[in-house]
Amino acid sequence: MNILAPLRSSSEVADLIAAGADEFFCGLTPPGWEERFSGIWANRRAPLSAGVADLADFERILVSIAGRPVFVALNAPFYPPGAVEMLARFGAQLLKMGVAGLIVADMELILDLVKAGFASRIHVSSLATCVNAGAASFYRDLGVSRIILPRHLTLAEIESIIIPGVEFETFLLNDGCVFEEGLCATTHAAGSFCTKDGHETEGVSAETLEHYAFWKWTLNHCGCRTGNGYPLGPCGLCAVPRLMQAGITSFKVVGREASLERKEHSVRIAALALRMARNGGTPSGIREAVIKLRGSAGMCIERHLCYYPDVWDNPSNKSLPC
Amino acid sequence: MEYGIRVTDTSELPSDPRTICPVEWREILPPGQIQAIYFGTEFCETLLPDFESAEELCRFSHDSGLDAVMLTPIVTGKGLGQLDHLLDQLTAVGWIPEVVFNDWGVLNLLQQRYPALPRRSGRLINRGLRDPRVFESRPTVESSLTDRGQRIRSMLAKSGVSALETDPDLEGSFLGNGSDGMERVLYFPYVFVASSRNCLIKADGAKTLDDCFTKGLGSNCNRNCQGRWHQVHRDDTSGPLWRAGNTLFYEIPRSFAEKHLLQADRVVLFERPTP
Repeated sequence: MNILAPLRSSSEVADLIAAGADEFFCGLTPPGWEERFSGIWANRRAPLSAGVADLADFERILVSIAGRPVFVALNAPFYPPGAVEMLARFGAQLLKMGVAGLIVADMELILDLVKAGFASRIHVSSLATCVNAGAASFYRDLGVSRIILPRHLTLAEIESIIIPGVEFETFLLNDGCVFEEGLCATTHAAGSFCTKDGHETEGVSAETLEHYAFWKWTLNHCGCRTGNGYPLGPCGLCAVPRLMQAGITSFKVVGREASLERKEHSVRIAALALRMARNGGTPSGIREAVIKLRGSAGMCIERHLCYYPDVWDNPSNKSLPC
Repeated sequence: MEYGIRVTDTSELPSDPRTICPVEWREILPPGQIQAIYFGTEFCETLLPDFESAEELCRFSHDSGLDAVMLTPIVTGKGLGQLDHLLDQLTAVGWIPEVVFNDWGVLNLLQQRYPALPRRSGRLINRGLRDPRVFESRPTVESSLTDRGQRIRSMLAKSGVSALETDPDLEGSFLGNGSDGMERVLYFPYVFVASSRNCLIKADGAKTLDDCFTKGLGSNCNRNCQGRWHQVHRDDTSGPLWRAGNTLFYEIPRSFAEKHLLQADRVVLFERPTP
């Protein structure tokens, strides 16, 4: 089981390894992309604010990761004509350079990479919305090595998806999504669509819209960080023991575009939870340790931040020492 | 042009399918007959029909001399089991509906357990951009570009899929030129914009906060969305936006629709936004 950390620059690698990162993911745009596909992103995040600047810095990343795997996201939900061919060539170049795998959502690109013999280096992005064992079998039969599960699943649902012969990755910390990301046909390039969603919906009560606004606020890190410097956003740390037991291979810390400080704090607290889980820690024990480090106990106790709130459905897990 | 109509009950069918659309739409839709009745759900496994409802709609289609086409959504393991049970019941009494899948797991199920049921690829297989803000800033579509989606179409054809269905997206070439032998189907007039299991309408009918959004993912749905659809107003979008259940829809500019029509063998008309 690994902590998967986001990267934007080679200058972040050493600090994130020290914080506990086992593997990395980043975004990278092919040279010449902008000239051909201006305004369209090669992956789900903005190249300037979330991507590695260029191949030269990416080569420095490969040198500095000290044998840890790094995966490159080419995970836009779709590509315009001509883009798949360019990305497939770029992906092949990256794999030759030493990239451990490519994170891909678009089925056209997946099929092209499979045909080129790179199936075992594909991580199916959460944007592909794989939410049942049959879909997992479909991707496994294509030969992919890992499936990244989408955010909005219960623990029981995750357990029902896991099948042998392929690795699974789940979201662990940060950056919620209002809609199912793979089923959001809007583009962040035009601004975040979901931030304006809700309040002007006819026929929905003001009280419900207020709850909706509060929930969206928690997905966006409550607009702040804690006094201890930790992000206050979506979190699945207490569920690590159960996710480990289910067979999850990799726990994802989200936020390529975040500051190094936020990434470092996030990786450190995620590594703590994984260490505790490996040593037999319980959800309650992990929650206690997380609150001690992060602060904001109320948000944890009320389950406002939980990626997997059903971890507390078992009454034996609900007790929290005061 | 042949037509399908998305129905929610067995009320009388119109003699001219175009009459279920807003008046402006009738001007761009060519004349044609209804060939199929669509029922089920594309966006929410909670709304999968029970056996009695599905059988009633299969019978209604049969009695009307039309094909029965059941829409299915992306499903969790629980939903997949529920769908398996439903198809098992329907086929056991002799119904052979065509099934629109939006989930690779459902395609897997159809191939392995129900090979006799015609399978059709649904609109969520096409993950093309449908952002209403972009529709309004880019009023044309390059329908002459036919290479997007070629690999998917080839794979689907090899998987025995008989039709490719989508709503109009911004690229406009997903249905291809028909050379792969699959029927090409367009949905009008609502495109989906975004969908989520964290349903605002479910939350609007929830008894406690623990039944809302992330905390309520595992709790039973109250089906509060049935018979309701809600207009949504945004200052960055001028066209009509609607919320129906867990999904946002947008009524696309008709100029877009006209160009997409050139690639369609069948049009499926929706009387209202339906999850």
